Amino acid sequence: MSDVPTGLPDASPEVRSAFERLLLGLADTKRILGIRYSDWLLGAPSIEAGIAASSMAQDEWGHARLLYATLRDFGEDPELLEHDRPASEYASWDPLDEPFANWASVTAGMTVVDGALALALEAVLEGEYEPLRGRLEKMLGEEEFHRSLAHAWFNRLARSQGEGRERLREAVEAVLPATLRCMAPDDRSHRRLAETGLTLPAAELRTRLARLLNPLLAPLDLSVSAVQTEVPEGWDGTRGRGPGHPAEEAVERARGDLNRALFVE
Amino acid sequence: MMEEIVFDVFARKHRGDPLAHVGYLSALDAELARVYAWKTYDEESWFEMCIVPRSQIIPVNRTDGPFARGGHGFDASLPSSTGSSTEEDE
Repeated sequence: MSDVPTGLPDASPEVRSAFERLLLGLADTKRILGIRYSDWLLGAPSIEAGIAASSMAQDEWGHARLLYATLRDFGEDPELLEHDRPASEYASWDPLDEPFANWASVTAGMTVVDGALALALEAVLEGEYEPLRGRLEKMLGEEEFHRSLAHAWFNRLARSQGEGRERLREAVEAVLPATLRCMAPDDRSHRRLAETGLTLPAAELRTRLARLLNPLLAPLDLSVSAVQTEVPEGWDGTRGRGPGHPAEEAVERARGDLNRALFVE
Repeated sequence: MMEEIVFDVFARKHRGDPLAHVGYLSALDAELARVYAWKTYDEESWFEMCIVPRSQIIPVNRTDGPFARGGHGFDASLPSSTGSSTEEDE
């Protein structure tokens, strides 16, 4: 790398490192979320829902690319971040490690995980790091449509009387605790960022997620406020997520392994 | 089973342009239809886009067009008794 890092020049190494962790986690989560959405271009409940999933996949990949590019300001090489890391180094949020099993799972993912991801971006937008503001505003504008789609489907399934409701409840219960921990980790790294105004404190992020999701979750007798948020055993402070990593197959697709080796110098 | 509703999509590229019919879609409700419309018909940077449940469109002079066929709850006797649609009009 020949570029001189320009991100947060006055910050301590600990804060810079914590902010890099935050940005990489957001970028990786968006990249893997895009993969998970792209699986539903075919097989969604309707052609229109498939097109929406495809569009959201494109949005997430675009957002990921912008966030990876931002890490250049911290001395990282976006090319290497995007195409040359093993799955074990991905900092994407735990609930996306495996594919969405069904449309209820997609709905839980776009409501809970994507919703929390947007709140995490909002927290950075409201923070002290100026260079990202324009990009974040564009991303959050696109995320409004993700939220509309997610909430419309969520309300549909949550208020139905059939199997969809129970599957949705199971899917939410599967993703909510880990999403909360990844979005608002109560660890030293996140606390340092909040103290320096680069993001919001974990408690405030949890409050915002509860405000967003609790009205949706009520028909399922679930609540963000009831979720235990302590950092669990095996928490990976370097990546800001739990143990494990996204499935190899997803990371191979994210890196473009199969065809990149053939067609890209 | 949840029943889907047909919505017609209208849009204009610039302020002052006529609102044109650009397509249709099926959705479970209006909120989903809004998102589907914006994401499905995104080939232009639209100034304005609207959706209308096809059942709310009342044909004026024809009873054999797509809007008449999709008009749930519409009293089809009205245009046929007052309209002047015939093959020779075309």
